Amino acid sequence: MLLELNNIFKWVNSGNRRIFLLKDINIQVEEGEFISIMGPSGSGKTTLLNVIGMLDNFDEGEYNFLEEPIQSLKEKHRINLYKKYIGFVFQAYHLMDELTVYENIEMPLLFKKYSSSERKALVGDMLDRFNIVGKKDLFPTQLSGGQQQLVGIARALISSPKLILADEPTGNLNSKQGEEIMELFKQLNEEGVTIIQVTHSEKNAAYGSRTINLLDGRMIKD
Amino acid sequence: MLKHNLLLFLRNIRKHKSTFLVNLVGLSTGLACVLLIYLWVNDELSVDKFHANDHRLYQVLRNVPDSSGDINTNESNSDLLIPAMMAEFPEVEYAAPLMDDSSNAIISTGDKTIKGSGKLAGKDFFNIFSFPLIEANGDQVLRGENSIVISKKIALALFDRSENLIGETVNIYDNTDGEALYAGDYSISGVVDTEGISSSLEFDFLLTNELFLAKRDPYDAKWNSNGVNVYLKLKEGTDATEFQSRLNKFYRAQLEVVFSKKYHHYIGNMFLQPFSERYLYNKFENGVQAGGRIDYVILFSVVALIILLIACINFINLSTAQASRRLKEVGIKKVIGASRRNLILQYIGESVFLTIISLVVAFVIVLLLLPQFNLITAKEINLRPDPELISAALIITLLTGLISGSYPAFFLSGLKPVETLKSKLKTSFGEFFTRRGLVVFQFSVSIIFIISVIVISKQINFLQSKNLGYNKDHVVTFLKEGKLVENSETFLKELKRSPGVLNATQLEGNISSFDNSGGGYKRKDRPSIQFTFARVDYDYVETLGIELKEGRSFSRDFGDEGSKIILNETAIKTMELEDPIGKIVNIRGQREIIGIVKDFHYQSLYEKIEPMFLLYLPEDANRIAVKIQAGREKETLAGLEKLYHKFNPGLPFEFEFLDDEYQALYTSEQRVADLSGYFAFLAILISCLGLFGLAVFAVERRKKEIGIRKALGQGSTQIGVLLSGEFTKPVLISILIAVPLGYLLTQNWLSGFAYKINIELWYFVLASVVALVVALFTVGTQTIRAAYRKPVDALREE
Ligand SMILES: Nc1ncnc2c1ncn2[C@@H]1O[C@H](COP(=O)(O)OP(=O)(O)OP(=O)(O)O)[C@@H](O)[C@H]1O
Ligand SMILES: [Mg+2]
Repeated sequence: MLLELNNIFKWVNSGNRRIFLLKDINIQVEEGEFISIMGPSGSGKTTLLNVIGMLDNFDEGEYNFLEEPIQSLKEKHRINLYKKYIGFVFQAYHLMDELTVYENIEMPLLFKKYSSSERKALVGDMLDRFNIVGKKDLFPTQLSGGQQQLVGIARALISSPKLILADEPTGNLNSKQGEEIMELFKQLNEEGVTIIQVTHSEKNAAYGSRTINLLDGRMIKD
Repeated sequence: MLKHNLLLFLRNIRKHKSTFLVNLVGLSTGLACVLLIYLWVNDELSVDKFHANDHRLYQVLRNVPDSSGDINTNESNSDLLIPAMMAEFPEVEYAAPLMDDSSNAIISTGDKTIKGSGKLAGKDFFNIFSFPLIEANGDQVLRGENSIVISKKIALALFDRSENLIGETVNIYDNTDGEALYAGDYSISGVVDTEGISSSLEFDFLLTNELFLAKRDPYDAKWNSNGVNVYLKLKEGTDATEFQSRLNKFYRAQLEVVFSKKYHHYIGNMFLQPFSERYLYNKFENGVQAGGRIDYVILFSVVALIILLIACINFINLSTAQASRRLKEVGIKKVIGASRRNLILQYIGESVFLTIISLVVAFVIVLLLLPQFNLITAKEINLRPDPELISAALIITLLTGLISGSYPAFFLSGLKPVETLKSKLKTSFGEFFTRRGLVVFQFSVSIIFIISVIVISKQINFLQSKNLGYNKDHVVTFLKEGKLVENSETFLKELKRSPGVLNATQLEGNISSFDNSGGGYKRKDRPSIQFTFARVDYDYVETLGIELKEGRSFSRDFGDEGSKIILNETAIKTMELEDPIGKIVNIRGQREIIGIVKDFHYQSLYEKIEPMFLLYLPEDANRIAVKIQAGREKETLAGLEKLYHKFNPGLPFEFEFLDDEYQALYTSEQRVADLSGYFAFLAILISCLGLFGLAVFAVERRKKEIGIRKALGQGSTQIGVLLSGEFTKPVLISILIAVPLGYLLTQNWLSGFAYKINIELWYFVLASVVALVVALFTVGTQTIRAAYRKPVDALREE
């Protein structure tokens, strides 16, 4: 078992009303799964993904990641888990505009203990693998959206995470670019990486092995 | 990691040049300020600290009450104290006297001549103080009446060498008091190398005080005489406080024998002050230590730190204001796995790095400003790469970097990644308030500086232009030295005949600050009146343009002027004399009052005009004063020099204008005025830089709002006013804070003067208007440009 969410609730207080963003979420994810999260806009998909990715906290329930109870871990410990096992891919890419493609991909390694030659080798592999060696010295703004997302994925993969979380990774791309990204995900998944993606498209969801549907912060049966 | 952060840092600079420049200029001027003041303070603190046994060196001082009940702290003592102490107190290792001898001696060997100032010192002077002696030690110098110690400077001038001089002969010729007391040949017993030493005791040569003892009337060897400064080296381990109380008891016992019982309360108390403290803690008020030069050391240190703080505030304000620009960066880094520590280190690293760059720039600024700074402060500070300076600079820089960087670092790194990625940063009330508060602080300080500059320069102006009761313009003074001493009458006669010379006289001491006191005037049942007086020649009153109220001035037309006296108005008033002219009074003997002069300021305007009199005693004069015709200064001075050289061939003619001499009374005020001018300029410059940066940012942040407002038809001017208003408010609040504080501070400074300006409302108005206008102008350049932009541009850029 990679991770397990039990009766997760998340809410915000507005005035004296409590607005639930997530209600009674129960999910089990095994290593090697490819899961799609779907649901209408505002249903809580991003919120859920952020909770899984430990970018956001929750108010009630249990979250075990590799048998570790996340809710009772110290921040430092949580960051270590996160650094080691999770990679994030965003709809808006979120690359650093001031850094080149090479530097962007290299960045996660800087927060871990890698020698500079190891880093060089790892980044080189990534560039090769995504066929963007020629673009390594360009800045993100000089790339197309699809290329930017490739860089985003390369950056997420560089530290060989067990789990990739992708929030509408193809949302800003045309269908051909989107397809390429999804193929890439499928390939990664076959290599053993667990993937959880948020998507609006049935076609993209079909790449996954299972779909979780959300409505108003609640899971609905498929 | 480091490389990465460095890259980010550099690329951010390139992207946001104005922010970078504001920070760089602000921090480097702030640091330059602190460095300059550091150099100055260090120099001040090092004075007299070079003596090997500094902690055992003391000077003997006395607190003596005067007739009005005030306690005066006096540094001169009876010379009897020295042998007495050596005999009575075994804990005194050495004691030595020091007396001013002549500040205008002429030292010569055969053909070479140089002017210099000398003192008389006790034989153990060099056993107490560690002035480095060349080829001699403290036990060898100043033994015997013809022994002299000269400075290396004099040695080089006279002999072209500083070694191998023991036993050589130099001649000390004249001094201007007309008695040539210690003129004669002396044999060099040591050469002292004072180079690179900062000492409050300065001399070109030292003679032994035995000369004084030998010539002095034995009748004057009394415990209640004074005239020598006494320095001590106590034995290691002596309890100075305990010793001081025994010394005082001993001293009082001696004086109680001399003084009749009813005067015993005038004896006062003897106490010790550590020698190296004397320089900075030289002011005593009513017998109690009341600061001194240390006040300026503290004042300027505080001011420099405040200016640096203002620069740090800019950095803090700009970095937090622009946090939104970096939100994404923070968010991404957190998502990728950066810990809070990583981020804090990065941002603090950035600010430290920026301050290090600023430090380099600051050093360049210091190098450029040092000559001017030395001029203002009358120092000879060099920028030498000594480890102390470098470590101090680095510590200051690191602290600055930490202070400026820590707030933004903790602020940014504390944000939640989810929020930062949404790039929706709500400025919290507290944060907004802090930023405003910091701006208010900056401007309050700036306005206080401006008020101080106005008040100080007004007061100095007042001091310079105040009617002193005499005319200090176009009066040249110089020493009555060399052959002028014996031939003063002939010289003055010829002088008066020279073209361009309107009048000439001779006098004792300085015109603008004479401080001879004496001649108590006894009154029934009341303390006697103490006077200040001057010994003068004919034409004194006329040359200086002092106004006579009644009677006449000293004149050749009457005989026996030596038994006459001229008093000032205050004296007559205090003495309560009616119809004073012709009356005989007992002031330094029986004297006939021949004239009354209107009050004039014979001392700095810190002092009130007190009872004062003039005596006709040309033999005691040591200075010539010449009134010259306006507009013909150059040729007249050339004539003066020629005449001077006729009497004193070979001596340099060194003269001074009386108004310069007068101005010199206010050197330290002028210094404060100059420095506070610079400080005010810096403070407002740095504050405005910060405001500029904030305005740039605000305009950027509100670009869309401006666009929408314009699209909805709001006028450009209205928008400009709206935007500027955001920045006017803090400045207005600063005015409210700064005006009362500025009033208190300047009022306090002025209270030291007996004659001073009234603080007027317009000073504050002016300071406020200057701050407001400068601030509005700074902000305006940004807001108006934004307001007049086409709305489409603003909207499109979003
Ligand atoms: N911090 C917050 N405070 C209040 N409400 C929030 C907060 N964060 C999210 N929400 C609300 O929670 C709901 C779920 O948001 P979320 O971003 O997870 O939706 P989503 O499913 O990802 O939508 P989309 O498909 O548009 O991306 C929305 O109604 C949103 O307005
Ligand atoms: Mg979403």
